Amino acid sequence: MGNNKVLEDEGLIQGIKQLDTNKIQKIVNETISKETGARLQAYIQTCMHCGLCSKACHYYLSHDNDPRYSPVGKVKQTLWKLVQAKGSVSPRDILDMAKIAYTECNLCKRCSMYCPFGIDIAYLLSMVRRICFKLGVAPMYIQDTSHSHAATMNQMWVKDDEWIDSLQWQEDEARDEIPDLRIPLEKEGADILYSVIGPEPKFRTQLIYQAAVIMHVAKVNWTMPATPGWDNSDMAMYLGDYEVMGRLKRLHFETARRLRVKRIVMGECGHAYRSVYDVGNRWLGWKNMPIPVIHAVQFYWELLQEGRLKVAKKFEAPVTIHDPCNIVRGMGLHEMLREVVHAFCENVVEMHPNREHNYCCCAGGGVINCGPPFKMTRVEGNKIKAEQLKATGVKVVIAPCHNCHGGLEDIIHYYNLGMKLKFLGDIIYECMEK
Amino acid sequence: MDKIYGFLIGPGAWIAFSVFILGCICKIGAIILATPKKDRVVLAYFSPKYGFRSLIHWLIPFGTISMQENPLFTLVSFAFHFCVLIVPLFITGHVVLVETFWSVSWWTIPDKLGDILTLIVLLCLAFFWGRRLWVKEVKFVTSWTDFLLLSLVTAPFLFGFIAYHGWIDYKLMLVLHVLSAEILLIAFPFTRLIHMFVGLLTRVYIGSEFGGVRHVKDW
Amino acid sequence: MKIKTLILIIAFLGLASICLGQEDYLILGKEFKSPERPRVIFHHDLHNEKAHIENCSVCHHVYKNGKLVPDESSEDQPCSSCHKVHPVKGDNPISLREAYHKRCMGCHLKEKRGPVMCGECHKANNEKKSK
Repeated sequence: MGNNKVLEDEGLIQGIKQLDTNKIQKIVNETISKETGARLQAYIQTCMHCGLCSKACHYYLSHDNDPRYSPVGKVKQTLWKLVQAKGSVSPRDILDMAKIAYTECNLCKRCSMYCPFGIDIAYLLSMVRRICFKLGVAPMYIQDTSHSHAATMNQMWVKDDEWIDSLQWQEDEARDEIPDLRIPLEKEGADILYSVIGPEPKFRTQLIYQAAVIMHVAKVNWTMPATPGWDNSDMAMYLGDYEVMGRLKRLHFETARRLRVKRIVMGECGHAYRSVYDVGNRWLGWKNMPIPVIHAVQFYWELLQEGRLKVAKKFEAPVTIHDPCNIVRGMGLHEMLREVVHAFCENVVEMHPNREHNYCCCAGGGVINCGPPFKMTRVEGNKIKAEQLKATGVKVVIAPCHNCHGGLEDIIHYYNLGMKLKFLGDIIYECMEK
Repeated sequence: MDKIYGFLIGPGAWIAFSVFILGCICKIGAIILATPKKDRVVLAYFSPKYGFRSLIHWLIPFGTISMQENPLFTLVSFAFHFCVLIVPLFITGHVVLVETFWSVSWWTIPDKLGDILTLIVLLCLAFFWGRRLWVKEVKFVTSWTDFLLLSLVTAPFLFGFIAYHGWIDYKLMLVLHVLSAEILLIAFPFTRLIHMFVGLLTRVYIGSEFGGVRHVKDW
Repeated sequence: MKIKTLILIIAFLGLASICLGQEDYLILGKEFKSPERPRVIFHHDLHNEKAHIENCSVCHHVYKNGKLVPDESSEDQPCSSCHKVHPVKGDNPISLREAYHKRCMGCHLKEKRGPVMCGECHKANNEKKSK
């Protein structure tokens, strides 16, 4: 069944048509020798093939412990094979490797916490993606998303004027509720630049509305850019197109610098935070951020601490918290997230495992961006998440991440869990003093 | 047989230990020296505090969730690694050899205890062999190199155990014991046995990343 | 009667000499109270005969101020009179264990003759004989 899905993906099928073994060998060896070094060698020399990482992976657990889905099993089928064969593999092999690297691993890094040597398996599979990308073999949807990034500097082909239109539309809507509300565009010297991901202006505009209300009530001196650079998302990072990733991150920071803001606050997105905070900056040679970048969870927590956000009523229905990999395992925001949730919600039920050890939503790492051909890969690949959600017995899941929403929505629907998903902003907007 | 033994504990030992020590220094040196070239992030984010915090958690039995979820493996793994280092370093026969040649000696364990610890090593190795053969997620990633590694470690302990008890042919078993141990030492830097040293580096690195950059535990 | 007695005495002496001849060995290492390995049985005369050692000071050497005194020998003393089981400060730093191994195994390795493996001297049934 897995193979049929691949045959439905034009990116992979067309991709391997223009490959021959010589080209594969050249690119593989070039990438390994020029882009990897001590780390890769150390990981290969250290892995004792013990299999302890297996139980860390939701794909492995969801496929009845099928060893092909264990983290080390995926490395064996991809990177080890490339290294051992010194790149001498067939186009068909590359297709199989691309399928594994792009759609059967979310780069969630949970396995690194279960490996006795702390081998960064996500890094190894990222290198496989990088090689596949350079060979031109990637799922069509994520490749298209990266094309959008390259052409428009946002991930959803949003045109420059459409962006401004969307913001003004939401400002208009919000002024029905709060007459003097503004969404300040291009305000130089503001304290905060608020950046979002492409899907917000495209189809989740209510999030911009809610953020504007929160900013207004908390009396935040904020702005949004009217130019490209507003989108902090980064599917190029997950595709393996690090050149485009670098352009995106640079423009994002340059936009903030042009507007002379003190900090960037990002909407509730996990992978964008990883890109801005952990990956893109490294590619550009910045050890730390040129401008501090704060995730929405931390921002809301600060507003609450400072008393600028006040609780008007508690959300009554029991809720559970889904810890997104990229802001929890990636940034340790789990306690702040809990403090905010507990402040606004009456009844919080933890799911298990939680915090750093939470299972991924199976949409992250660009997997959901590989599009409809791989929807069932991630839904079937996360049966364990459905069981984990069901065990809480509650009907509301708070997940402060766009990808998590997409992934969990499909899981909730497929496994008939009858649960509702909320962003943290949804809860705050509903329960805050306005 | 005595002549072969004489060679093995003389020039053979010199060769084996030289290859082992120089090989390990070169291998680890190569990794450390290559780090600034393509992996500058490792140095940039290196944090002794978080690196060693992680290392310590992973050196304490059952100090991590991974270990707690795999209690049998943890028990076997710690018993194995403890015994596999203690026995060769502190068994009287080895210390006496060093003492005879170099007039240096140190604390030894009683032979009876050494015998029990060796038996533990062999039982642990049997467990590892069994996992490779029958546990599917381990079997899937097992290649001939894994069996080679297991054989390299099993042989000296097995022959040493047989020789100590005087079973089969004492002289032959002792020669095989020393020979296989020297092969192990020579192979060490060129196989994944080097995980004994490189594993510390990878652990400290990921500890630095998880603690220093991501502000989370990695255990 | 006298002749009978004489024959008996001669026979006894003969038997005794045969027996003593067979039992002509030393147990080395009696100074070790509870040794890790069995004590070593050493056939002194047989060894010297086979090894063509006529000069006692090859093994029963004398050191003064750290230097070997060539013509003196110390066969009237046990090894442990100089080489203590646990040397303390001021004693000869070479312990009894080290001295035995250096003397026996060192020479065997050098001469490429004689036992060199642990179990060739430290045999399990030695302990029975030494009791």
